[in-house]
Amino acid sequence: MEIALKEPFAARRTHAQPMATRTRKSIIPGFGLTMGFTLAWLSLIVLLPLSALFLRAAGLGWSDFKAVGFSDRAMAAYIVSFGTAFAAAIVNGVFGLLTAWVFVRYDFPGKRLLNAMVDLPFALPTAVAGIALTTLYATNGWIGQFLDPLGIQVAYTPLGITVALIFVGLPFIVRSVEPVLADLSVEVEEAALSLGARPWQVFRYVILPAITPALLTGFALALARGIGEYGSVIFIAGNMPYKSEIAPLLIVTQLEQFDYGAATAIATVMLLASFGVLLLINVAQAWSRRKVVNS
Amino acid sequence: MIALHNISKRFGTFAALNGVDLTVRDGEFLALLGPSGSGKTTLLRIMAGLAFPDQGQVRFHGEDVTALGVADRKVGFVFQHYALFKHMTVLDNVGFGLSVRPRKERPPKAKIRSRARELLELVQLGGLGDRYPAQLSGGQRQRVALARALAVEPQLLLLDEPFGALDAKVRKELRRWLRQLHEQMGLTSIFVTHDQEEALELADRVVVMEQGTIEQVGSPEEVYMTPSSGFVSRFVGDSNSLPVDLFEGSAYFHERPIYRLSGETGNGGARLDFRPHDVVLDAGGADALPLLVTGVYRRGGSWRVEGTVDGSSRIVEVDVVADAAPPAIGSRLGLSIKRARLFAANGAPQ
Repeated sequence: MEIALKEPFAARRTHAQPMATRTRKSIIPGFGLTMGFTLAWLSLIVLLPLSALFLRAAGLGWSDFKAVGFSDRAMAAYIVSFGTAFAAAIVNGVFGLLTAWVFVRYDFPGKRLLNAMVDLPFALPTAVAGIALTTLYATNGWIGQFLDPLGIQVAYTPLGITVALIFVGLPFIVRSVEPVLADLSVEVEEAALSLGARPWQVFRYVILPAITPALLTGFALALARGIGEYGSVIFIAGNMPYKSEIAPLLIVTQLEQFDYGAATAIATVMLLASFGVLLLINVAQAWSRRKVVNS
Repeated sequence: MIALHNISKRFGTFAALNGVDLTVRDGEFLALLGPSGSGKTTLLRIMAGLAFPDQGQVRFHGEDVTALGVADRKVGFVFQHYALFKHMTVLDNVGFGLSVRPRKERPPKAKIRSRARELLELVQLGGLGDRYPAQLSGGQRQRVALARALAVEPQLLLLDEPFGALDAKVRKELRRWLRQLHEQMGLTSIFVTHDQEEALELADRVVVMEQGTIEQVGSPEEVYMTPSSGFVSRFVGDSNSLPVDLFEGSAYFHERPIYRLSGETGNGGARLDFRPHDVVLDAGGADALPLLVTGVYRRGGSWRVEGTVDGSSRIVEVDVVADAAPPAIGSRLGLSIKRARLFAANGAPQ
């Protein structure tokens, strides 16, 4: 940003001085070229498809858009999608942090193997994960049969959706937090201990503030993935409208009925809501980072 | 009084400390001096309760604290790289030790802030309380770290290479200031250093360590003037060390007598150690050491002359009073050694 802001001044100076003495704006070369590529690439990969989506949705007209995009069924689906994604990201925040902590702080046999397993939810086709989870949590499944007598229904409820989203979201938190945790100097913790802090105080006041930006990054990634997740969810969700129907499924349903307008309307609402949420997290992150990196 | 009995510590197969005994008196300023890997930092960490010995006992005022962790020993610890809390202001850093106390013992917030401000005044950083550590220079950060350690009113202040990361001028200022602070607050302070000059300048007593054992404990003057081993002689202060043969009361270097020995020493191989300033220019003397000058530079009021002795490539350093022009490179000086110490060829005193 700073470089871009200085541009007019540098440009003005070239009028008064010969080209040869023009001062360089940054020691790192290639700003113009790389920035150009970045913008072109982002336009092609992200902005172009998205603007097509908006155009299509705009073709509906406002009243139709409102009727489809904010229908009761769509609203219920948004609540299910965002609610379960939030719940899953929070659960992952806690247990992902714990997992990263164990990997960074302790050595134990099989650590590499376990560490590699964390990434499996990335690699596994999501439908496979969905079917596996459904089998486990159905009322006659390995886990479901014990939960059923307790009155806990997992499969075909929002709880089941959350379980699936926890599964696919775990790697985001672990991989975001792990390197930051590894970089934390042990000396800082020792200093806190030497000042009489108890271990939980060291965690609360010294470690947590330092890893908050990374934790928020992981949280945002897991949340975004959760909001958009389709494959692993549809098998375990049961897909009952107003109860366990997620917004992406609603979109696919519209597509299957060749109602592209309705599909894009719902997608647009989702997209804007997601963008708003991610922007908020970004602001929170900038705020927490400002304190860490200050000046 | 702090007493260490027979402290041993291993890291894997590496013996960091080997049966160390040490007593530290109240109010003393003690230096742990040694090369890297000598075990000095490990010893300090064991005193702090940041590391635990495999064997042996740590006592504070007669009380066995060997099994107590750092949080329960009431010691102040200052780290080489400051270890400040980056996300807290300077004031919050200093007040941290008070604010994490159990509710019953914790002073009210306003009291913590005013105490932190007092300490910042004490370390001469009065106006900087609202800054973050990243906005301070290295010397200022180390003073914040010191104020933070002092906030919990420790009986014992432990410093791990506290000046190691600072530039020479700041280091010197901070050294003098720390010495004052130590006396003013009536602390017992122990610091680790690999810089012999720092140890000699600051400490009441110096503990010289090598390979996990204590080589010598003594005042700076004792350690410098009467080193107990070849290692201490060479590690503390500049020292020349020449392999010599002893024969009928003289030390011979490459078949040339260079030093007359006092007392009965026997015959055989040995090492002769002498300080650069323990020589006089003496061209014609019977035991003169002919030095071929290879380099000269100023060191305060003397020329530090580097040269080789005939028949050997060994570099010898001597100081020559700088009241005349420096000796020319390639010229020869005759030297006579005023004072030297003899050690066995393997370094033990002889």
